[in-house]
Amino acid sequence: MTMTPRSPVAVLARWWFAPAPAERLAALRMLIGGYAFVYLWIRFGELLAVTRFPATQWRAVGVTRLLDGPLAPTVMLVIVVVTMVLLAAFVLGLQYRIVAPLAALGLLWVTSYRNSWGMVFHTENLMVLHVIALACMPAADRWALGRPPGEAAAGYGWCIKLLVVLMVATYVLAGIAKLRIAGLGWIDGELLRNQIAIDNLRKALLGGSIAPLATQFLEHPSAFTVFCVLTLALELGAPITLLGGWPARLWVLAVWGFHVGVIFLMNIWFLYPLVGAAFWPVLRVERPFASLFGRVARWRDPRRAA
Amino acid sequence: MTRVAAAVVSVVLIGATLSPLARKPADDGYPLSTYPMFAWRRPTKLTMSYPLGVTARGPRYLSPGIIGSFEVLQARAIVERAVAKGGKEVAMLCERIAARVATTPRFADVTAIRIVTGNHDAVDFLVRDAPGIEYERAACEVRRR
Repeated sequence: MTMTPRSPVAVLARWWFAPAPAERLAALRMLIGGYAFVYLWIRFGELLAVTRFPATQWRAVGVTRLLDGPLAPTVMLVIVVVTMVLLAAFVLGLQYRIVAPLAALGLLWVTSYRNSWGMVFHTENLMVLHVIALACMPAADRWALGRPPGEAAAGYGWCIKLLVVLMVATYVLAGIAKLRIAGLGWIDGELLRNQIAIDNLRKALLGGSIAPLATQFLEHPSAFTVFCVLTLALELGAPITLLGGWPARLWVLAVWGFHVGVIFLMNIWFLYPLVGAAFWPVLRVERPFASLFGRVARWRDPRRAA
Repeated sequence: MTRVAAAVVSVVLIGATLSPLARKPADDGYPLSTYPMFAWRRPTKLTMSYPLGVTARGPRYLSPGIIGSFEVLQARAIVERAVAKGGKEVAMLCERIAARVATTPRFADVTAIRIVTGNHDAVDFLVRDAPGIEYERAACEVRRR
């Protein structure tokens, strides 16, 4: 069977492998890898605190199911530190083909371990998926330490699209889950209002901070119908980002606003989208790096500036 | 990397990310999640266990970090598991919390810890300032040197 230029597979392949600059993928390697490094840095104390929980709290999830029980605190300390070192090398592009898969595996292990103590957080999934995906890509063909620029035979456009598709998939899955669990009745607002009320009550009873606008909106249940419609529209409308251009940027802005709204109503911080990391693959993130590296090159070699 | 290898990587990663669609929504996982949060129907009534600090001016809520985790939901899991096991386990949790309170200046007014199970309506509690009822599960003193 031959593939004609107009066959759906050929059209899909042309779109999927449409060229994109290697610098964009390199910038995403540095940004997303850098985010993961900082994330572990900030959470360092908490990652180690869980190792001191009683073993009775242990509920293995994901890859940690390989274990019979929790690891010794010192073993986990070593794994976290090694993962951070690997992520630093990941950002720099050092020995990328070896380092990147190890860094991704380390990150998957560390975050899975943290989630194995009674509560699965949904704020880290996309970060881990993005780092795993980057580890499978030729993301160190530019701006990598100790390595000359390379050229991937399949180009770099598919890599950027894959990162976008993974982001889109997580939002679409969240939308589908609401419809599978609650049906279209989810948009009547009562369910979301109750979720927000219960979530804030739990925080209040445990001495956490309740969301700044929660109590005001709980008195006006009809507002939640609007929130529900907007939430489902944004989640199920995520594939619009695959069009690129202004529709993608508009969606990103709207979803970012949605996450800000979640802070005001639930005080839940989805840091990865809030700092923009989830959406970097949609943007031309190579530009600030190109500008910065150009300036550095001119500073080191003034003849170039002339 | 060739186009064939790129296509294989793409299909595997997209397939894995979408694979939770083949599972029941309640069968959550990590990092391949069904993302079921905020989708379940639930009443505004909540029965939950939590520690209270006893002070001269009445009870005060503590903090997730004092319970054992800076994450609220993980702190909740710590208390719920101890209460579910009861007896010695809940008494030990009370002592651990009391020991942390004893060394935390902002809880200097707390003289004892009570671990309680409360039945509250979330809207009444948050909007109308009308808490429900609480049952004591364990109590212990805060011993300062």
